[in-house]
Amino acid sequence: MKAESINAFYSATQDVFHLMLDLGVERGEIKIVDGLVSSKDANVILGVTGDLKGTILFSFPKNMTLEMVKIMSGMEMNTIDGFVSSALGEVANIIGGNAATNLTTHNYICDIVPPQVIVGQYESLSLANRNALQIPLVTDIGEFDINIFLAEK
Amino acid sequence: MMWKERYRVGVDLIDEQHMELFKRLSNFIQIVQNDIPWEKKMGEVQETLDFMADYVVYHFDDEEKLQAEINYPDIEIHKEAHRVFKEGINDYVKIFEQGEFTEEKIKEFSAKLMAWLIMHVGKMDQKIGQYVREKGGQA
Ligand SMILES: [Fe+2]
Repeated sequence: MKAESINAFYSATQDVFHLMLDLGVERGEIKIVDGLVSSKDANVILGVTGDLKGTILFSFPKNMTLEMVKIMSGMEMNTIDGFVSSALGEVANIIGGNAATNLTTHNYICDIVPPQVIVGQYESLSLANRNALQIPLVTDIGEFDINIFLAEK
Repeated sequence: MMWKERYRVGVDLIDEQHMELFKRLSNFIQIVQNDIPWEKKMGEVQETLDFMADYVVYHFDDEEKLQAEINYPDIEIHKEAHRVFKEGINDYVKIFEQGEFTEEKIKEFSAKLMAWLIMHVGKMDQKIGQYVREKGGQA
C-alpha cells in the first residue's frame, strides 16, 4: 500500500501542478513522522474513504500559497483570506481526486472527502501510535509537504 | 491576467469564448477582492455572478455543438464533465438564493470556479485541439 499511495499522490501532484501552475515538482527524502503535525502556514486536510481509509495533510508555507494563487488568478495576493484558502483547498482536492483515480489502477477504490483548510500552524490530529509518511516536495516557488496516513480496510 | 497562452486549444471559436470567460471571471474576482465594503458591492457582485453563470452555460452549449459537428469521439465524457461543472455552479447558486449570499461564500465560490475552469480548459479542452490537429486543420 505504501509505495502505491506515495506514487499515486506524488504523480497526481506533479500532473496538477504542471497543468494548473505550470510548475515542476521534485520529491525529497520520504520521512516517517509521528502523527500529522504541521509546521507550515496553510494546511489542507483531505479525508480518504473506501479501500484505503485515512487522512492526507498538505502543508504549504505562506509565500508559496500566495504565489500559487497569484499564478492562477493573475492577481497579487497579500493575505491568506477566504479566496486564497478556498483556491488552495480546491487544488488539493483536485490532486486528491486524481490520486484516487491513480489508485484504481492498483485496484484500490477510494473517495475523497471535501477539503478542510486550516490557516496557521497547528498540532492536532493525533494518530494513536501510528506513523504517517511525509513526502517533502520542491518547486521553483517553494517547498511544501504531503503527509499520508492511510490504512487498508 | 488570468488567461494564459498555454490554455489555447487551437480552435478559434473555443479560444475566443475561453478568453471571454477568463476575462469575466477575473473581473468578478477583482470585484469580490477589492476593498469596497460588502454591502456596497453586493449588487455588482450579483450582476457579474449572474452574467458569468449564464455565459458558462452558453459556452458549454457552443462547445458541445462544435464537438458534435467534428464527430469528436469523447463527446459524451466531455458532456458529463460539463454537467458536473454546471452542477457545481448550481449548488452555489442555490446556496446564494437560500439567503447565504455572504462575502465568505462568494470568495469560496469564485476561488473554486477559477480552479475548475483552469483544470477543465488546461486538461479536457486541450484534447479537442489535439483531435482537430490530428484530423488536420481547423474545425
Ligand atoms: Fe469543455
